[in-house]
Amino acid sequence: MRGPNKTSAKHPACFCLLFLSLISLAAAQPTLKVSAEDHDDYSRVVLTFPSSFPYALEKDGPLLLVRVSATSSFRLKAEPVKSRFIKSFSWAKSNDLYIVIIETRNERFRPESFEIAKKRQLVIDFYELAEPPPNEAAPAETPRPPADEEKREEPPPAPGGAAPLVEGSAAAARGIRTIVIDPGHGGLEVGARGKFGTLEKDVTLAIALKLKALVEKNLAFNVVLTRDRDLDVSLENRAAMANNHRAELFISIHANSSLRRNANGSETFFLSLNATDEEARRLAYLENNSAELEKPLAPENEGDIQMILWDLAQAAYLKQSQRLAEIIQDELNVLLNTKDRGIKQAPFKVLTGVACPAVLVESAFISNPEEERSLVREAFQENVAQAIYRGLVRYIKLLP
Amino acid sequence: MKKRKITPSQWTLLGLSLITILVLAAVLFRGAGGEKIKAGAAPPPSEAPAEPAAARPTKTINLLFPSEEDSLLHPEPREILAGPSIGEEAKQAVQELIRGSGKGYISPLPPETKLRQLFVTKEGVAYVDLSREVMDKHPSGSSAELATVYSIVNTLAVNFKPIKKVFILVEGSEKETLGGHLNLSEPFVPLPSLNAR
Repeated sequence: MRGPNKTSAKHPACFCLLFLSLISLAAAQPTLKVSAEDHDDYSRVVLTFPSSFPYALEKDGPLLLVRVSATSSFRLKAEPVKSRFIKSFSWAKSNDLYIVIIETRNERFRPESFEIAKKRQLVIDFYELAEPPPNEAAPAETPRPPADEEKREEPPPAPGGAAPLVEGSAAAARGIRTIVIDPGHGGLEVGARGKFGTLEKDVTLAIALKLKALVEKNLAFNVVLTRDRDLDVSLENRAAMANNHRAELFISIHANSSLRRNANGSETFFLSLNATDEEARRLAYLENNSAELEKPLAPENEGDIQMILWDLAQAAYLKQSQRLAEIIQDELNVLLNTKDRGIKQAPFKVLTGVACPAVLVESAFISNPEEERSLVREAFQENVAQAIYRGLVRYIKLLP
Repeated sequence: MKKRKITPSQWTLLGLSLITILVLAAVLFRGAGGEKIKAGAAPPPSEAPAEPAAARPTKTINLLFPSEEDSLLHPEPREILAGPSIGEEAKQAVQELIRGSGKGYISPLPPETKLRQLFVTKEGVAYVDLSREVMDKHPSGSSAELATVYSIVNTLAVNFKPIKKVFILVEGSEKETLGGHLNLSEPFVPLPSLNAR
């Protein structure tokens, strides 16, 4: 007898089985092993891959980055580092890209790499270079000729390395500061839709372009838009753009929509963590020690916690993000004549991986017909841009 | 060769035992069959939660609905069948949220949405697997997504102590967002600040 009840009773069992098998799969996840050992005139780092993945090396100051394009996920297992030259290992992940970060004690080194295909090993030998003369070590006193500077910033491509993927790093090294402005949605992903047909993606782009113009005209900041036209950009790529450009601030611009007919007003969000108390305590520790982001964590903390650093890069900037949100909300209240909905925390996907102060501005409600009419008006868009701009100016004054 | 003859008394015995077997079989068969029919016809718990004659006891939970008045979630008591597990009770809670409010609160999920599956792990993570309508018919927007997600997350957390986190799946798999805002690719912790006092 095959009653409907019988089949539905079967489902939980199947589901549980599937779940259990997924868990066991996760437990047997492939592992990338990293270890370091000292030799007479060099220090050797060995990466043992779970299978062969394409990789690229990039030298960045005292760091050597190994970028691994992996189609399947894996864990990183780093042995405790006891080396005179290698300081620590850490890693970061974004989409299919894994970055193993090898931190050295001195930026003056030459990496030489080779592969042992049979063992799926990548071996990198670090040769220390002679110390520079003292006047070169103190660049503030004697400006170097530009050619030399150029050379120092763009190290020759590491052996076996592809073109560096971090496009913004050179600009960052030259001391140019970057703000990333993120017009919400785009392309097929239209966002919310107003009663009169206004699309969130169009409003956000219009405001973002106005804000970009204001910043570029008045501030010594480089502005990067995550999109400058009607384009699909994934949420992870938006965050990655901020990180690749070493952005100092990230502003995501949106127009709100509610299930409530009358919802109205403006609000500014910063990230809330989906962490239980225990995890929150751990993340709070990171936040209070956000210098940890600059220098990778001590090797004894390898593994899980470093995954959090990249997956939840924003965790270390919550206090700054909250301050930025407060200031921008302040200015929106002054300029927009909309209801003050205050600052709020929510787990927004686009903010999760951003490694700098980051906020999401909900300018007004596209689901409210009156505010929809405002949102399409040039003058209102200009005011939103102006308010965010004033907030940025106030916040930047607080920066070191 | 002597042919064995069956006496009339033996005939009677044989006949009696045959009849007994038949009657017994009939009774057993009908009994078993009757039970099966009964099991098959038992109403799914969510369809008749108010039926007082149900064998299982009922319990009252508080569903959390968004309202027109403010951006908070408001409690509405609802009777569900008690047990046999937290997962079964949580299932009814989500189905009742989809069914909507009886007090004029806003429906947090598109009414076409189906709960495909729900289970709670030992670690207290509730996996709520919804049908595609929850995305396809969703209006998008930060506030709308907050209302949908946290009516589920907070309802489960408020009523079922062991549930600490809620992972929302769509059509059996992990999604990035409902409409471009809130992060569905990790489990949500409840936000009690969204609940009306």
